[in-house]
Amino acid sequence: MHSLGCRLRRMNELSRAQIRDLMAQVLKNQDKELPADDAAQLREIGFRSLDFSELALRVEDETGEELNFDAPGLRRIATVGDVLDFLVELQHQ
Amino acid sequence: MTVATPDPATAAHPEPAGVDNRVVVGGAALTWRTLPRPALPDPAAVLAQSAVHALAAARQHAVHGTELLLSTASRVDEAMRAELSEAGFSVTVVDDDGAHPSAPARARDADPGRLWLLTSGSTGRPKRVGHTLDTLTTVRADQPERTWLCPYAPGTYAWWQVVTLSLTQPGQHLVVVEPDELDDWPALAAAHGVDAASGTPTFWRRTLYRDAAALARVPLRQITLGGEPVDQAILDQLRDLLPAARISWIYASSEVGASIVVHDGRAGFPVDWLDRETAGRPTLSVHDDELVITSPYHGAGLAGPVRTGDRVQVVDDRVLITGRLDSDEINVGGSKVSAGVVRGVLTGHPAVAWARVTGRRAPVLGRMVVAEVVLAPADGAGVPDEAALMRWCADRLPEHAVPRRIRVLTEIPVKETLKSDV
Repeated sequence: MHSLGCRLRRMNELSRAQIRDLMAQVLKNQDKELPADDAAQLREIGFRSLDFSELALRVEDETGEELNFDAPGLRRIATVGDVLDFLVELQHQ
Repeated sequence: MTVATPDPATAAHPEPAGVDNRVVVGGAALTWRTLPRPALPDPAAVLAQSAVHALAAARQHAVHGTELLLSTASRVDEAMRAELSEAGFSVTVVDDDGAHPSAPARARDADPGRLWLLTSGSTGRPKRVGHTLDTLTTVRADQPERTWLCPYAPGTYAWWQVVTLSLTQPGQHLVVVEPDELDDWPALAAAHGVDAASGTPTFWRRTLYRDAAALARVPLRQITLGGEPVDQAILDQLRDLLPAARISWIYASSEVGASIVVHDGRAGFPVDWLDRETAGRPTLSVHDDELVITSPYHGAGLAGPVRTGDRVQVVDDRVLITGRLDSDEINVGGSKVSAGVVRGVLTGHPAVAWARVTGRRAPVLGRMVVAEVVLAPADGAGVPDEAALMRWCADRLPEHAVPRRIRVLTEIPVKETLKSDV
């Protein structure tokens, strides 16, 4: 997508690694750990829709910009990688 | 401008019963009798420059029945001035030089004895509610002699409650706080022997937050809360600090008057008060989570059941008033959350001095519960972080009701109405 650097990140945009840190924080607040493996299943680590929503708010608070939640269509979000991809993409909408 | 003229009370216009009660205002110790006497037009919409001018207008009404709408200039914008002028009021600024009336756009005869309140209303656009001194006077039984603090903005329902008490009952004195004195009121109150005070929960929280030790020095025998939802935490904190005081909370509004008075130190009112009909007393009911009141103290044209717009929730044997219907309910992915209930849990944390709970737009669930808090001055026990507050809530609330973002503010916000829109 933008991994070749052909697209500059917007000033306030968070990197995938930064979003990962925020995701770890969401879990840490509940005494849970975020595995290093992007393929880890959300169901297994106990990351649910409330947690996903909280993460989205944290991304908004970090960037100071509202995410357009309605822009992307429905998709399957099952792994840690899915969450990160989705939020990286959402910042471009 | 109009020059102040003496207007001695006459047989036709007797002084009110409380005319010789002490009134401390702007640093001066007066009585209702010795207040300035501006010559007011009739009907008048008085914009009082400071508290003493508002009290003077109230006394004028009490003696002469002048049709009166009383407010501060800041609550009446240009559009409202024009609206009042169209409605036949002479919009009149009252300051130290006297009354400065402007001619109404549409002159009409006065309606003797009529008092008008501007309510904030749920739409944000103030609306007029008609009263009389009689319908605003809800405390009628003989009271022990008291010196009341009046921290409210002139012309609001709560202000009239304290003012009518002092005007109509001998032995009910007033110490009025100007807005710029609000933060230091305990010193003023202690100096003038205030032993009864009425304020919003936000007012009491701010006072506890700023200087609880100064509050403890006020010889309070009566503490009254109203105007906003009252939670258990604020009642407990006041009881701990001021064990000698009776603590009451009142549900009152311009529309239905003072309708609920609770003295048992607990938030909410007993379930068995619902649907109880007693002559001369308001009847309380609940329809679709909304408090509905039929009150003998209602405003003009508001006889019969009035939908209050306030949301209630029955918890065990109490009916809790949790907030405004249009803002209290937060829908989190189909699960309903009461902002007031969450707020009560947050303010129940020993380190939280104040909290506001709202819904925030979020993906997947539509809305999420978020909060702002002001932390109590640190007492050595440490300051909780966001995670600690979330865990506190998670131990006491369903999962979807736990605030997922908690922002810390450094000062309790307050508006002129002494409310903070929690």
